[in-house]
Amino acid sequence: MKHLYIGILAVLMALSACSNSRDGLDLTAYNYNDTKNLVRFVHNAAQKIEKDGLAATEEYKSPKGINKDFNLYVYDMKGINLFHAGTPEVQNKNLRNITDIAGKRVIDLVFEALSNPENPHGWVHYTWWEPGKFYPVPKSSCHFKVRMPDGREVFVGSGINYPLEESEFARIAVDSAVNLITAKGSAALPVIENATSSYNFREVKVFAFRPDGRIVISPILGDSLVSTNLLSCVDEAGTKPFEHALKQFGKQTAVWQIFMAKSRYERQLVKKTLYLRKTMLNDEPLFVGAVTDLPQTP
Amino acid sequence: MPQKYEYTVNEVPPIPHLLVLSFQHVMLMFISIGFPIMLANQMNASIEFTASLITLSMIACGFGSIIQSVGIPYIGSKYLCPNLVGPSYFSLSLSAVWIGGIPLMRGMLILAGLIEMFLAPVIQKLKNIFPTYVVGLVVSMVGVSVIQASVSSFFGLQFKGDAINSLDVVMGMFTLLTMVFCNIWGKGFVRMYCLLIGMLIGWIATALIIPEYRIDSVLLQGKPLFALPRLLSGIWDIKIDMKMVIPFIVIAISSTLKTFGNLIAAQRISVPDQKELDFKPIREGLMADGIATAASGLIGAMAVDTSSSNIGLAGSTKVVSRWLSVGAGGIFIVLAFLPRLAMILSLIPKPVLGAAIIYTGCFMIIAGLQEMFVEQWNIRRTFVIGISLFFGLSTAFLPGLYARAPQFIQSFFTDPLPTATIIAVVLHQVVNLDKLFKGKQKPGIG
Repeated sequence: MKHLYIGILAVLMALSACSNSRDGLDLTAYNYNDTKNLVRFVHNAAQKIEKDGLAATEEYKSPKGINKDFNLYVYDMKGINLFHAGTPEVQNKNLRNITDIAGKRVIDLVFEALSNPENPHGWVHYTWWEPGKFYPVPKSSCHFKVRMPDGREVFVGSGINYPLEESEFARIAVDSAVNLITAKGSAALPVIENATSSYNFREVKVFAFRPDGRIVISPILGDSLVSTNLLSCVDEAGTKPFEHALKQFGKQTAVWQIFMAKSRYERQLVKKTLYLRKTMLNDEPLFVGAVTDLPQTP
Repeated sequence: MPQKYEYTVNEVPPIPHLLVLSFQHVMLMFISIGFPIMLANQMNASIEFTASLITLSMIACGFGSIIQSVGIPYIGSKYLCPNLVGPSYFSLSLSAVWIGGIPLMRGMLILAGLIEMFLAPVIQKLKNIFPTYVVGLVVSMVGVSVIQASVSSFFGLQFKGDAINSLDVVMGMFTLLTMVFCNIWGKGFVRMYCLLIGMLIGWIATALIIPEYRIDSVLLQGKPLFALPRLLSGIWDIKIDMKMVIPFIVIAISSTLKTFGNLIAAQRISVPDQKELDFKPIREGLMADGIATAASGLIGAMAVDTSSSNIGLAGSTKVVSRWLSVGAGGIFIVLAFLPRLAMILSLIPKPVLGAAIIYTGCFMIIAGLQEMFVEQWNIRRTFVIGISLFFGLSTAFLPGLYARAPQFIQSFFTDPLPTATIIAVVLHQVVNLDKLFKGKQKPGIG
């Protein structure tokens, strides 16, 4: 018995002394293993390329690549592909003008993401395809910019097909939109509203409204068919998430507000979240936000 | 065949054994601490709120475990049947919190507890409609009902649709095999503590191999060694919302049936030589469960429920002393006042917990199947059990289908355990109607 007690105590002490720091990356913003695995994969590859240049890409070549889930790619800062594990045919081609199915200029979005301090892992969301397949696939890719030993600057990236919606993605879009409004004022609104911008992807759409609930950028349709006041909108449980969220702004500068929505596939209502930030536009307060999914239990 | 027990249901083990054996049950109960954490996360609640919700829920679990087993007149089954935070109430509790805050969750849980208490004597009246083979089905479905939680934990899955890491699977398998080998080839203490040994070895190995599972000292910062719980709303701040009454009644009925199944399983494991079900402890156990649910609402904790896994653990270790439930309840209450230690235990890696629940679930499923086939089989039973399993298991295989079903069907087809139980009981009567009319034999005896 004594040995068992000592054993239990030793285990608890040993485990308490451990730490979970790993490769210096802060992944606390993410919920899903998928996302964390991708960021680690691209970060490790970027470190290797920074040290050994393009020679380091050898181990990422398909089909022997070190991670079959992710295809690594490397571009220079003009948009010329230097390495693509999944589609080697594009190597040495300039893909700067390539657009996805919705018209998003993907390489330009990568440059924008890499220069955005709100987006530390360079996330870009677009539609792509799987090599050898013929149908569109939603994709989220992360990117790191590095300088190779020969002095050239490149960006290293890879993406997840059918990504799970991280709340961090919505946070990046909304915070970046607030920064744009602060910098450019009303001129920022058409940029944010543009469906091919980084502020709109999949079901996430950045919107804006005044404190009395008047819509400035609609969360649903480009042109509102009927006049909607967001403060009076209710969720499936009959509560008013916008009204509730605005009450919390006295204490906080950003609000995450949970609300209930219907799902065709779930027996009960599912939880979604609304992320809101407050800023000023033309000397009037403006709330900027986006709606996204919350992780569900297995 | 008579079973040899290390400690029988009313036997009190020596104090050191009692403590370690109770702690073994506590380790298994800790899986449910994820629910208050998840509820607080989904509400974006403060750290203080989260800490209080965990503390209060642990107190409610401890209280429920004690009154279920300690032996108060008319209350409690007096079997080894600890409580944990009930997953059945999770989603509705969150809806209640969102609509009316903690006061509404409190009010609705008190109501649910009262419904369970009301159903306790009603269920006793059904004793003639539970033949042995249906009881066997119920016991095996108790094991089946933990499949979802156990397998997703075994694979290290925290959220629906996420990637599974190979190392999680390896560590889950390692832990499971350690427990199995300790049980098969171990003797004395090793066999008695096989779950605890497996969990500790699995925890160490997982922490060594997978850095994410190491205990981060940052998580323990600000967690005092000792802290008193705080009520999350005023003492009389209790609300009822008529819109939520029907959903809570449905869940209360489903939860009562689940507890009914757990108590049958506990009885079968504790007193295997008893030929027929004794409904008195089951009724009193349901009463205790109702009181525990109402009490959890009263103090502002999440709803509690009886734990299938812990009953399976009792079966696997041949230690069925009800005092372990009292001990585990006591330890849970003490841990509620020790946030730092509780935090460490709540960080047990998911694959290790999943392995532990699979290990205990094996005993439930097999005990139920053995009971089902102990009597001579006939074609009527084939249809009763077959059809019940088809529709009972369909709730787990096809949850999306029931999401679009009419409300009446949704209310009864909630979970494999209650669904299979209801269908088996009804079908048993239906396929034996001829016997009833001929007056040869009561269907209940079938």
